[in-house]
This record gives sequence, structure tokens and C-alpha cells, in this order.
Amino acid sequence: MQSLLFKPGVLTVATDNPVYTPWFVNNTPTNGKGYESAVAYAVAAQLGFSKSQVKWVHEPFNSVYSPGPKAFDFDINEVSYSPVRARAVAFSDSYYSVQQSIVALKGSTIATKHSPAQLKTYLYGDQIGTTGLTYIESDIQPDKQPKVFNTLALAASSLEAHRIDALITDTPTAQFMASAQLKHAVLVAQFPTVGEHYGLVLQKDNRLVTCLNRALTALSNNGALASLQHKWLGIYLHFPTIKP
Amino acid sequence: MFTGGGVRGTIMSTASTAIVLALIAAIFVLAPGARTVTHAFFYGRGMWQSFIGDPKKGYYSVGAAIWLNIRMFLAAEALILPFALAIALIRQSTHPALFPIRVIATIYVDFFRGVPLLLVVLALGLGVPGLYLPVISHQPDAVYGVAALVISYSAYVSEVYRAGLNSVHRSQVAAARSLGLTQRTALRYVILPQAVRNIIPPLLNDFIALQKDTSLVGVLGVIEANQAANIYASTVFNYSSFTVAAILFLILTIPLARFTDRLIDRDRRRRLAGAT
Repeated sequence: MQSLLFKPGVLTVATDNPVYTPWFVNNTPTNGKGYESAVAYAVAAQLGFSKSQVKWVHEPFNSVYSPGPKAFDFDINEVSYSPVRARAVAFSDSYYSVQQSIVALKGSTIATKHSPAQLKTYLYGDQIGTTGLTYIESDIQPDKQPKVFNTLALAASSLEAHRIDALITDTPTAQFMASAQLKHAVLVAQFPTVGEHYGLVLQKDNRLVTCLNRALTALSNNGALASLQHKWLGIYLHFPTIKP
Repeated sequence: MFTGGGVRGTIMSTASTAIVLALIAAIFVLAPGARTVTHAFFYGRGMWQSFIGDPKKGYYSVGAAIWLNIRMFLAAEALILPFALAIALIRQSTHPALFPIRVIATIYVDFFRGVPLLLVVLALGLGVPGLYLPVISHQPDAVYGVAALVISYSAYVSEVYRAGLNSVHRSQVAAARSLGLTQRTALRYVILPQAVRNIIPPLLNDFIALQKDTSLVGVLGVIEANQAANIYASTVFNYSSFTVAAILFLILTIPLARFTDRLIDRDRRRRLAGAT
């Protein structure tokens, strides 16, 4: 395995900057707090790396899938698996099965009126590169073209300025936004699962992926992943599911 | 247009062009990662998919989105030309009573030439709707984008105008005034026609830049060509959509660039015609 590493003796893990709760805490991947930081360290431990042998690097989302050699061993940044994406990069097995949720301002129409027919009438916002947009277009099929923002922060500002009726994002992020990040926002509801999951991202054809998959399988079998989800995402997951 | 010196010159320029193109092509074909990079940027199917778009798969047509860039560019240009001229004329004015407006105009130009355009787009696009004013807080995002382009580019273009006004010799004003023309008519019929002819090339240069900068409005969530390309790229992990956007922007800007060249040539020939 050592020969497969970007830097021998070190596990180089990449993520974006800034990163958000509950995936990371205080924008500090090295603190081991937040679900993705904890998973990265748990995987590292499974592979025999101590905490000090894990090195974090910043990698903007758009360059994670750039052609050519990568400056990291794997990237962990809520990247959803899709077959077409897997032609450009390698994905590990799932470390989290994800559902999408609606975040809206308290007291807005969508907070109370969200039957399938009503859901079509709203103006949605989404962060670029997330699968929320695919979900909006293929399942909600709204009358108005959604807005797509480069960052979650911009989407949130747009919601607060009443420029969009609701934003669609993964449930843990949605709950954090509604409960802590945005003052007047509420998580309206969560959509049923469509089999979407997050995977660790590696350079295409990187054989390290088999080691990562073995580690993830072990963590899944011994209940470690479930308990990390309970610890970092647990409070975030109890929401009514609605149909689009 | 680009070559000079008869048949021999044409042969030489053709040969050197062929060599340069072959060298560039060789780098693309022979580099170890050439296949991966070519696939990432020039994947034919990806280019077509992003051009026509498929919302159900999570991305929009780059070809349709460029229409928004064109409309924003035309609207911005139509507003920048008179607004920038007004700023330039205020800064050139000499009347003592206009002093405070001159100071404001100077501060305006300094400020908006120095502040990144992206910040102006964000400030207007997110700030103005937050003010909850009637009408102006309820415009489409593209309107705020165009407003930001007008505010920022007018600062640049007013300086181009000013340079043009200064390029007309002071004796021209003196001559016009001695013929009995008022300050205003002298400006209208003597100074401005000469000044505008001098500044057409730099003016068009700024407009080529403006065409590309319409893509900055994408940060407001508006799906213009560059944003549509970015959505495709981050959805399927392939950059071919950016190549499509680049080609579309080239199709828009190259005619304007060639037109500018022709104007410069024509102007030079005219001016030199009397000098020999």
C-alpha cells in the first residue's frame, strides 16, 4: 500500500475550504470533529496510520476531478457517486447514504404548502455540483428554472434576501442551516431516498481504492460508521419525509 | 490583412503558420497525459450534451444560456456609452459651480475602477433586494448584474472618453470659439466628433472585455453561459462544457475584434492620406 500513497508514510486527505458543520467543525478538518473528519481518521486508523500521519490539504471542488496526477490520496467532501462521474475519478464504497431536504424561511408559503402540485410552483436554489439540482429537475419538475449558486453561502444569502423560495441540500447540511447558521430558516421536509450516497474520491484507476473499501467495510461491519453517524449527524436526521 | 510583401511573404507566412500549428498539435498529441486531458476538455459527446443541455440530468444548455449574455451585454453597452460620456464631461468641466459634482465624479471613477467587479455584482445582487424597496428590490438578477456592469464599466469608459477629449488640440476649441460658436456647440460639432473617432478602438476593446465579464453575473445564481458550463462540468466531472462556452464567446468577440482592426486601419489610411 505504501507505494500507492501520494507521499510515503503519510495519508494525504483533501477537502474544500471552507467546510461546514456537521461534516466538519469550525472549518478545521484536523480536529477530528464532524462526521467527515471523523470518518477520515477512522479510515486512516483502519489502514494503520496514526492521527499525526494524516495530512489535510485544501482542494477546491472543481479541481478534484481535473485530469492528471492528484496531490492527495483521497478527497472527502460530500461528493455523490454517479456512474458518469466514475468515468473521470475513482469512488470508494459509500460512507453515507444521503437524502435531500427543503430549507425555507419561517412563515413562508412553502413551509406549510408543499403538496406535489404546490411544490412545482416555487423558485428553488441549489449549490453547484450537488445532486440537488438533478433531484429538483427530475423529481419536483418546477415551473421556474432553479438558480444555481457557486457556494452554499451564496445560496443561503439568496434565501435570506427572499430571492428564492427554498433551497435544496442534503438533510444534515439543511438541518444545520435551519438550526444554527440561518436565523429565520426552517427545514420544511426531507425527500425520500433515491439511493444516493457519498464516496471518497480518488484519482481514476488508483488501486488504493481497494484498501479504502476494505477499511470502510470493516468500519461498517463493526458498527463504527453507524455510531459516528449517530454522534455527528444523529440529531439531524429525524424529519418527516414527503413525496415530490 | 496580416501579411505584407507579395507572393514570397505569403509563402513564408503560410510555412511558419503551419510549423507553429504543428508544434502546438504535437504537444497535445505526444504528451503522456494527452489522452486524459483531451477527453477532459474536448470530449465530443460531452461538448454536444452541454451545448443542448438536459435538465433532468442536472445541467442546462450552454447554447441557450449564451443568449442571456448577449442580452446583458447589449443592455449594458447601450447604458454605458451615454453614462460614461456624462461622467467624462463633468470631469472635464471648468465652471466653478460644478466643483462638487466634479469631486463626486472623480471619487466615483477612482472607486469603481479599483473595486473588483465581482464585488459590485454581489453587493447589488444580494444587497439591493435585501433593502425591501418597492420596485427596485424586486428586479430579476440579470438586471442587478447589468447595473453592476454599467456602474463599473462606466468608470473605465469615462476615462477613455476623457483621453479622447484631451487628444483634441486646444487650438481647435479656440478656433471654434473665435468663429462665434458657443462652448456647447463647439463641444458638439468640433470636439466630440474628433474625440470619438480617436477613441473608437479602445472603446471597442473595453466592449470585448464587457462581453466576457457578463459571465460574472453567474454568481447570482443566474444561468448564463459560463455558469451553465460550470454546472455541466461539476455534474459529470468533465470540462468540455467550458470549451463550448469558450467557443461561443469567441464567436461573439472575434467579429468585434476584426471590426476594430478595420476601423483602426481605415482611420490610419485617412489621416495619412493628407500627410504625403
